Parts: sequence; C-alpha cells; structure tokens
Amino acid sequence: MSNGIYGIEIAWLDAVIRLHIIVGLMTVVVMGLIYVERKILARFQQRLGPTRTGPAGLLQSVADGLKLVGKEDLRPRNADPWTFELAPYMVFIPVFLGFVIVPFAFGMQVRILELGLIYFVATSSLGIIGWVMAGWGSDNRYAMIGGMRAAAQGISYELPLVLSLISVAMVSESYNLNDIVLSQSTYPNLLWQPLVLVIFIIAGLAELNRTPFDIPVGESEVVGGPFVEYSGIRWSFFFLAEYAALFIMGLIFAAVFMGGWAWPLGEELGRGWQILLVTIKTSLFIFLVFWIRASVPRLRIDQLMSFSWKILLPLAFLQVLINGAVLVYEAPLWILTITGMLGIVVLVRLIERAVRPQPVTNESTVSIGNESVS
Amino acid sequence: MVVESTPGFETQDLLINVGPQHPSTHGVFRMVLEVDGEIVKDLVPHIGYLHRGAEKLCENNDFRQGVGYMDRTEYLASHNAELSYVMAVEALAELEVPERAQWIRMILCELNRLSSHFMFLGAFGVDVGVFGTPFIYAWREREAIIDLFEEISGDRMMYAYFRAGGLAWEVPGNFEERVREVLVSTRQGMKDFDNLLTRNEIFLARTKNVGIISAEDAVELGMSGPTLRASGVSLDIRKAEPYMYYDQIDFDVPVGTNGDVFDRYLVRLKEMEQSVHIIEQCLARLDDGPIMPERMPRMLRLPEDQEIYVRTEAPRGEYGIYLVSKGGNKPWRLKVRSACLSNLQALKKMSVGQYVADAIIILGSIDIVLSEVDR
Amino acid sequence: MRGIVKSLATTMSTFIRGPVTRGYPSKHRELPERDRAFPLLLWDKDIDEPFCTGCHACERACPVECMTVLMKDNPSHESQDGNSKRRKIVDEFWIDYGRCMRCNICVEVCNFEAIAMNNTWSGHETSVYDRSDLVMDLPQLMAQSKSDEIQEWVAD
Ligand code: SF4
Ligand code: SF4
Repeated sequence: MSNGIYGIEIAWLDAVIRLHIIVGLMTVVVMGLIYVERKILARFQQRLGPTRTGPAGLLQSVADGLKLVGKEDLRPRNADPWTFELAPYMVFIPVFLGFVIVPFAFGMQVRILELGLIYFVATSSLGIIGWVMAGWGSDNRYAMIGGMRAAAQGISYELPLVLSLISVAMVSESYNLNDIVLSQSTYPNLLWQPLVLVIFIIAGLAELNRTPFDIPVGESEVVGGPFVEYSGIRWSFFFLAEYAALFIMGLIFAAVFMGGWAWPLGEELGRGWQILLVTIKTSLFIFLVFWIRASVPRLRIDQLMSFSWKILLPLAFLQVLINGAVLVYEAPLWILTITGMLGIVVLVRLIERAVRPQPVTNESTVSIGNESVS
Repeated sequence: MVVESTPGFETQDLLINVGPQHPSTHGVFRMVLEVDGEIVKDLVPHIGYLHRGAEKLCENNDFRQGVGYMDRTEYLASHNAELSYVMAVEALAELEVPERAQWIRMILCELNRLSSHFMFLGAFGVDVGVFGTPFIYAWREREAIIDLFEEISGDRMMYAYFRAGGLAWEVPGNFEERVREVLVSTRQGMKDFDNLLTRNEIFLARTKNVGIISAEDAVELGMSGPTLRASGVSLDIRKAEPYMYYDQIDFDVPVGTNGDVFDRYLVRLKEMEQSVHIIEQCLARLDDGPIMPERMPRMLRLPEDQEIYVRTEAPRGEYGIYLVSKGGNKPWRLKVRSACLSNLQALKKMSVGQYVADAIIILGSIDIVLSEVDR
Repeated sequence: MRGIVKSLATTMSTFIRGPVTRGYPSKHRELPERDRAFPLLLWDKDIDEPFCTGCHACERACPVECMTVLMKDNPSHESQDGNSKRRKIVDEFWIDYGRCMRCNICVEVCNFEAIAMNNTWSGHETSVYDRSDLVMDLPQLMAQSKSDEIQEWVAD
C-alpha cells in the first residue's frame, strides 16, 4: 500500500504523532498556566506569589510536579478500588480528547471534524462521570457531596454552553471550527452575538468549576470536594485536567468568538503571527477567569441551579430563535448585535432582581425590628 | 422534606463532621452536621479543644502576671481583654487611673477593635468563597495596626501592656502621628472591602436572609456585640454603661434590622467607621501627664472579701470579668464571661434548615475566637 | 452585575497598586526597638562580668516559672582584690524559651538592669529540632550582649 507504513495508514499515524505533540505541549502549557495563575492571583491580592524556586519562582510548577510524583499514592481502606483509581483518567482523557479539534493556527490541528463544536461539547461533558466516580469512590462524605454537586452543576450548565455554541454556529453556518474561524476574517462573531458571549463565559466558568461556580470543590465548605482523598500522581491528574480544560476553553473562546487566527489581520498571515494572535486571545480569556476568581464569592448550589435554568437557558433559547429568524429571512446581521445588547441588559436586570431580598418564609425566625435594651 | 420511600429502599440523613481541622472553622471548632441532601437538619457543636484553664492559672498569679494570661484568652483583641481585667482589679483596689493612660487605652482598644474586625472581614470573605483576596486585604490593614502595637508594647499579639493602675510604659514619641498614619490606611482598607463585597450581587445572594436570628432569640441566648446588634437590639456597653471616657465621646451604634448574615457583616463594617471616629476624638483629647497613679504599691493587694463583675465592649461582644478577692495579691476566683461562647449558642438556631454552605458562613458571621470560647 | 463589576474594579486597582508583602526569609523588616522576643542577660563591659547578681527576683516574678537562677560569691569582688562592686554574682542561669510567654515581667522586676528582651531577629527565629535545645544557659543568654548584637531597650 502506498499510503501506509507497516500497514498503518498515514492518516492515522499523522494523527497519533500530532496528538503526542499536543500531549507534550499541554503538559508544559499547564505547568506554565499554574505558575501564571499563582503569580496573577498573587498580584491581584497584593502578594508576591511564588518567589523561591528558581528565578522569580519560575520553577514552582516543576517543583510541585516532582513533589506530587514523589508522593505516596494513598487509597482509603473503604474506598471502592476501581472507581477510585479510574476516576482521574475519566476526568483527564475527555479533556485531552477535546484537543483533537482545536485550531491553533491554519492547518495546525489534529483533525478537522465537520461536527467539531458538537464533538467538543460531547467530550467535555464526559468529564463529569469522572467527578462523580471520584466523589462516590473515595468513601468520604465531603467527596460525595462534592461529586453530587459536580454532577448537578455539570448537567445544568452543559445546556447553556451548547446553546451558546449552537447559536454562534448558526451565524457562521458551520460546526466545523476551521470554517467558523475562516468565516470571521472580517468581523468576529462577538460582534453579532454579545449576549451569547456572556452566556458562554458564565457557562464556561461553571463547566470549568471556577469561581464563582467552584461549588463542587468549594475550599471553605467541602474542602476540595471529590479530590479530598486523592494524593500524589492521581491528584495531579485532576489538576492537569483542570488547567487543560481551562486552556481548551480559552482556545474555543478565541476560535469561536474572537475569530481565532483569522481576525483582525486576515487569514493570509504567517504561521508565527497566527499563533501569536491565538495566544493573545486565549490569554485574554484565561486572564479574565483568574481575575474573576480573585474577585467574587461562590454561589450556593440552589442559586447556581436556578440561575442556569431560569435565567441563562431561556435567554440562550431566545437568542437561538432570534438567530433563526434573522438568518431565515436574511435580515441584516446588525439586528443581532442590537438584540444581543438588549439581551445583556435583560440579563443584568434579571440578576439584580434575583438578589433582591425575598420575603422571609421561615416563620419562627421573623425579625421583630427595633427593640432597645439597655 | 418527607421522602416517600418505596419498600426496601430507605433514605438516610448524612452526618458530616466539620472540624476541628477544616479550613473554615476558625480554629479548632468542631460541628457535626446532619444533612438531608444539601439541607442542614441538625447541628451539634463541640468545643473545648483549646481549653487551657486560663482562669484557674490566673488564681495562682498576681495581678501583673494575670494580664499576660488575659491576652491569650482573646488573641485577636488582646487589649480589650486586658482592659476588662485591669478594670476589675482597679475597681477593687480603688485605683485612680491617670487621664492620659485612659485616653491611650481607649485608642488602643479601638485600634484593636479595628484589627479584629478586619480579621473578621477577611475570614468571612474567604468563607463566602472569594479566593483569598479579602484575607490579604484584611491582613494588609491589620499588619499596619499590629506594627503600631509592636512599636508601642513590643509584641504583635500578646501585648501585656495594660497594668492595674495604668500602662506598663510610655508610648513612643511619635505615637500620634503613627496612629493618624494607620487611620489613613485603615480607611483605604475599609473602602476596599466596601467595594469588594458590600454590593456584589453574589455576596448579597449568599448572605441576605441567611442565618436569621430574631431580636428576642438573640437576647434570650445571651448574645452580645455586633452579632446581637445586627438583630436590631441596640445594646453597646460603651453607650449603655460608659466606662473610661466613652461618655465624653460622640459616636453612633450601628444596628441591623434583619438579623441575617449580611447585617452582621454590615454592622461590623459600620462599626469600624465609628471606631476611626472615636480614635480621632481621643487623639484630640490626648494630653501629657503621668501614665501610672502617683502612689502605686510595689505589690498590689486587694481588700478582703470583695467581688466584682466588670464588663466591657470587646470586638466580639461583652467581655466580662468576675473577680473574687479574699485579700492578698492574687484573685481568689476569676471567671471570664466570653462573648463568643454565648454567641455560639445561636449557631444551631441559625443554621438548621439552611444549606450546608450557609452553615459555614453563619459560623463565620458569628466571628468566634476559639481561645475565648474554651479559655 | 454592577456590584460584580465593582468588585472586579477593586481587585484591578490592587493589581495595579502592587504587592504589599515581603519575601520574608530573605528580606527582614526592621524591628522597632521595643520589640520583645525572649529575655537575654546583659554583660557589663566595664568590669567584664554579667550585671546579674543572681538575686532571684525575676525567677520569683516569672508567671510561668521558666527561669532558674543560681548565685555565687563574686571572685572578682573588691574584697577579693577584684574591681567589681558586686558581692554576689550569677553562677548559673537557665531560661526555658519553650515556656517563656514573653511578658516582660522579669525585665521590670530586675533591680540591676541585668536582663532585657531580645529585640533583634535572632530572638524570633529560634526554631530547633528538640525542645530541650530551647533551654538556654548562661553563656547562650549572654552571648548577644557580649558581642554587642543587641541594643537593649528598658522602659523607664
Ligand atoms: S518574659 Fe515573662 S515568662 Fe519570659 S522569662 Fe521573663 S518573666 Fe518569665
Ligand atoms: S536578672 Fe536581675 S532580677 Fe534576675 S536574678 Fe539577675 S539580677 Fe536578679
């Protein structure tokens, strides 16, 4: 066979090599991200961050990694061995599968899939199973609560995320990430879909279990949630997955909303420029995530759910409907900009209405107002 | 919630043990939560992990030595704790404290209230879930105040600076400037907190109407301090039974209306503004003069068969000292009335029926110091 | 949402303001002169002997009873053809830093200004592997004053 080596098709070999490169690259990127997050968070909090390992603490992630690898891999006696030990992989593998479709630059991806966006959503939601397995298998009550929270949260935020991506795909008229990027070479999608952008960022934060949606791992409540019992290399898998997911979400954000490597300088750029553009756009998203993490408190599980089902989801549906109408009747696209902006206003109003104090329901604790004792 | 169970299938409430080593139990407090899903159905607090017998130790120590132990009962507001103790001794020994010493004491106590409330804001912010930021803001300001305390008394937490009769030694020459400097940074810190939390929608959603305790319940449970005032009871010992020169000072007592977690937060933030106001007035009144009474005996002895209860408004509430003297240079019996212990009684009442995450911030909003609870 | 934006603005403003912490073990803050670490004995440079006469006053006043003092006749007293005015002098002195609560009382009761609180960083960074290493004997207590490492501050 002309297109094969040792009976393996070139296409497969090519994909395997690309995937390997990505896995290698990812580990480095994740280490960098961990360092950058610590430094940036420190700066937001007027701290110094890591300073002691290497110049300006640059080797902190390496030191952390070495420590984690060297640590004993503990398993609680009553833990369910299979569930407990498989859970990290179940979290880790889906995240890495996502990298198959991510366009780093023109022609730089593992595969161009026709249903790329759907594929991304499908793989990323698989990770939830790993979380639940970790929570269930650790035989720890914090972990179990965390796992259940993760499941609830993952399922509810999957929908707004999917809908937001779908509505972008409608405007770009493709699910193929490469085509989506190419279609934005003059105007990025965020111009037509501002509301969807906001929904995507919110749902993305929830998907990544980042503040204000870090409920499953809530440090001050369930002390790390499903990861409570993990140590050493298994724990580092969770960590790796978390940051890899952050990175991939940033890349998707760059590709879907910011025009990836194509906007604003057109698609005929050199590869170096393209990569730089994508890096900048991705960093923007990641910086935003860090910034939000340093600034806002955590929501409660019921508030999280009602926010998703009562506010985000209807708005996302509405946007899809409007998109459909505008595209079918071939109305000018700026209508979408206006409706999107209006949508953001509605979102803000709804959030503000939601936090307005509700009447007290529990009658045994009704306040009796001012009473002066002295 | 009543769950209709299918035969052979039972649901069971989950017991969760929180503490004594948990990021948000503020020391070594332990509570056992009985939860149904995410709802707390019952809560059993366990205390005593930090019991050191400070009261008993004081019975074997004279009145100068006792001050050091008082520091350790309330390590976040040591000046306030010392104050109650020395005031009790002074009242029994009928010592007249010089004016300058009183003003300095007032300044230090209010500064300590500021630093303690900063500590609350920081820890509370982290409980609500901001990743560390409030904590560093709080420590930034607390650091400034504690640096000042170190310049005055030599220590950062265990000041041992108040003595029965007055102060251990003079404040440094640049005291007034330094206090003013600290107040400037304190104002900045308060502003940062106000901007960071007070109007944040997520913070509001988390804290409003959570952990409500009514004024009646609060009074009945013996609560005091900001935790009581948040429920709408305007009881501040500085106003109700003025000690030192609080009657000559103009300040307000912030009072909440709802008695929820948010009110407890806001009352403290407002109280800090008042503290700054008080300190400024005290600075204006500060005069030269002695810091110890003219005729101080080398070894202070109390008259026989006397007892006294002195209470002051510490940052966490009423900090009382009950002292019985049977003569000699040591107390015969000393009892500390701890505000935290009484405030903690309300924990169960506030938490039952709320979410697990709420139970954590309710505990945070009571602002306990375990060393004061257990002594 | 507006409140959240305000929070974001606040953290951004502190982002710009820059760090307020120090890289502690490599950078030390200057300590105020009144700083109280642990008590040290002082050395009388004129006569080359400790100020301490071993009078036990501090030992009796210490709330945690962490001091032990032994006294002896001063070999360099004037009556022994020495140049010292101290008839008695400290023989042995131990302070258990592990128990000391740094209350400053020993400094206050000493009539000879023979003891002072360490106000240098050496007094704060005293971690050891064995608690018994925290029991300081006379040479250890005197070393800093002998080599002029502390500028003692004694309240008047
Ligand atoms: S400082 Fe206090 S505890 Fe320490 S040795 Fe002196 S008297 Fe004893
Ligand atoms: S240090 Fe002072 S009080 Fe203590 S034994 Fe020596 S001379 Fe006496």
